[in-house]
Amino acid sequence: MVTSDRGLPPLRSRIAVVGIALVLGWAGMGYRLVEIQVVKAPELASAGLNQRLVTRDLAPQRGKVFDRNGDLLAMTVESSTLFAVPTQVEEPLYIAQQVGNFLGVDVDVLYERLTSDREFVYLKRQVDPALAQEVLDLGLRGVYSHPEPTRYYPESAVASQVTGFVDIDGVGLEGVELFYEEQLRGVPGRAVFERAPDGTPIPQGISDIVPATPGVDLITTIDLPLQYRSQKACQEAVRTYSAEGCWVVVLHVETGEILALGGVPEFDPVTRSHKDPSCITEEPPPRCTIFNFAVRGIFEPGSTQKLITVAAALEEGEVTIGTIIPDVPDQLELKDGACGLRRGELWGCYADFTRHETVDMSVADIFAQSSNIGTIMVAEKLGQTRQVEYIERFGLGVKTGVDFTAEASGILNFEAGCDICWASAAIGYSVAASPLQMAAAYAAIANQGVWTTPHLVSSTVDVHGSTEVASLQTRQVVSSGTARLMLELLERAVVQGTGTGAMVAGYRVGGKTGTANKLDLATGQYTDQTWASFVGIAPISNPKIVVAVVIDNPHKDFRTGGLSAAPVFAHVMEQALHRIGATPDANVR
Amino acid sequence: MTALTHPNQSNDENLRVIAGKRFRRPTLAPWMVVVLIGMVAFLGLGFARTSLDRSAFDLAELNREIATQEALNRNLRLQVARMESPARIAPLADQLGLVIPGQVQQLMVDLDEPLPPTIRTNDKGTN
Repeated sequence: MVTSDRGLPPLRSRIAVVGIALVLGWAGMGYRLVEIQVVKAPELASAGLNQRLVTRDLAPQRGKVFDRNGDLLAMTVESSTLFAVPTQVEEPLYIAQQVGNFLGVDVDVLYERLTSDREFVYLKRQVDPALAQEVLDLGLRGVYSHPEPTRYYPESAVASQVTGFVDIDGVGLEGVELFYEEQLRGVPGRAVFERAPDGTPIPQGISDIVPATPGVDLITTIDLPLQYRSQKACQEAVRTYSAEGCWVVVLHVETGEILALGGVPEFDPVTRSHKDPSCITEEPPPRCTIFNFAVRGIFEPGSTQKLITVAAALEEGEVTIGTIIPDVPDQLELKDGACGLRRGELWGCYADFTRHETVDMSVADIFAQSSNIGTIMVAEKLGQTRQVEYIERFGLGVKTGVDFTAEASGILNFEAGCDICWASAAIGYSVAASPLQMAAAYAAIANQGVWTTPHLVSSTVDVHGSTEVASLQTRQVVSSGTARLMLELLERAVVQGTGTGAMVAGYRVGGKTGTANKLDLATGQYTDQTWASFVGIAPISNPKIVVAVVIDNPHKDFRTGGLSAAPVFAHVMEQALHRIGATPDANVR
Repeated sequence: MTALTHPNQSNDENLRVIAGKRFRRPTLAPWMVVVLIGMVAFLGLGFARTSLDRSAFDLAELNREIATQEALNRNLRLQVARMESPARIAPLADQLGLVIPGQVQQLMVDLDEPLPPTIRTNDKGTN
């Protein structure tokens, strides 16, 4: 071997070694290059893409709810939800104190969350974005926020019994929010896009977006100012009459549109808390549930039921309004020994509200004076079969079909072998109905004998425009002639009878008072507490509006429908007539 | 006038013109045009790509701005609804001594009667 003078390999050999090393190096790199760029290219490209590519569900904007004038009742806006990653939190107590003070959340609760072994804890959901920003500005490590939609009800407790509410995730739980949940929530979208390390979409990158379809907006039939006045009238009634509750239904006669529906106790749809102080206790009374009694509750309607009894007898030709019913006593014992005294009052048998001699009475007087015995004698001519048929025709015992979940169908208590139930039903006992059912029955009389489905939503609006809600069911329950006669009787009941408190200045009003003793469900006995009600129509010359008022257990000094419910009716009816611009009747004071 | 002959004409009689290989200088112009076009195309593409990216960023920014403005619009709308709520206005109206209108008085006009001269329509159909 040839070596250099210094014992090193000759130059050529060294060059060869270096050359071989370089070639091997380059070959290695080339191999790796081919492996990455060719052999594993699809796999690596896919892995890279997967790292960049994200799929996000796009939440649809929940539809809004409006009243009939376009005033907003419910709307979703963006808020911020504050959360923390406990593993990143260094000073949990300090953060709990700082954040707790800002958000009004119990510090102990926050501390417990921040020291938990979970990877994600909420500090507070759905707070005002400005407030959330103030918390973020504190620069607390491990505290973050993300946007989250929140449902707001700008009218607060006004119309809350109609709109209902949603849960914290925006799903309808009550009212039209629940009934129209499918339409309101919309259809979620989906976005697939390449994102940069900071999470923002890469422009010109892969992007496949199916936009979310927003939920439809609901146009309700509610008239907000009238709804407010109705609830206000109920508040005053509950206060004045020391009542447990008060409910109002206002119906537009021709269309079946519900212009107002609600009452007391009322609640805030956001906090779901009652405004009535008596309901803000550890053990609130049963009436304090979040419950729309006007649709879901039932009560024995008492004398307001006489409209159906008398209308049926007129329609069937058994009587005319001038027919004289002879020898009408003030009490009637259909079962021997049923009548008895309890605390000085007559119990167990049928009796008129005021004592009177046995007299001959016309059907018109029986109705105007609200004679129970006279009405039972009229019903006797009708017979139970036809009586039940008309009660059902007027919509009692079956759901009205209103667009509100869990509507009450009512009760017709004609149990087998009950030989006096027909008499009870004639005067509004053994029958239980919702205030809405009673309003719809009276609206049928006001609408020339045509019963129409009451409803809360008139149309929906989406990106394609406005759509009418499903067509309404109508049916003729009595002839227009009978309806006209009943209007006359109803007016007489207000002008000459028990409903004088229901008169409205400038308009001819007709209606019927109702007073029914409340049944104690535990004992099955009637108590001296009452359901006081009034259902009426105006203007009688050209009926436009029906108002039903039901007051739960007013003070004994105001225990009748004429004393407590009729004045509330008058107030609400006056507002309703003004709202729709009804022409006053001439020569009416 | 006598025509003069070229002094060397007689020696060149046997000469003839033949096509020869002439050295031609390489023409640069087409290549320069091609290169120029290539450069312009390259720069143009680069510029277009940059513009496109910038536009995409602008678009993303505009979309964010739209979302922000829409959120603001929704919030303002909510505030307007709260301000217009009867539950807020009615107590304020009460404090100011305002009351709900009482009995409605409507003036019934018999349209068959001739209108008074002051509001009678003229020939041109205007008041």
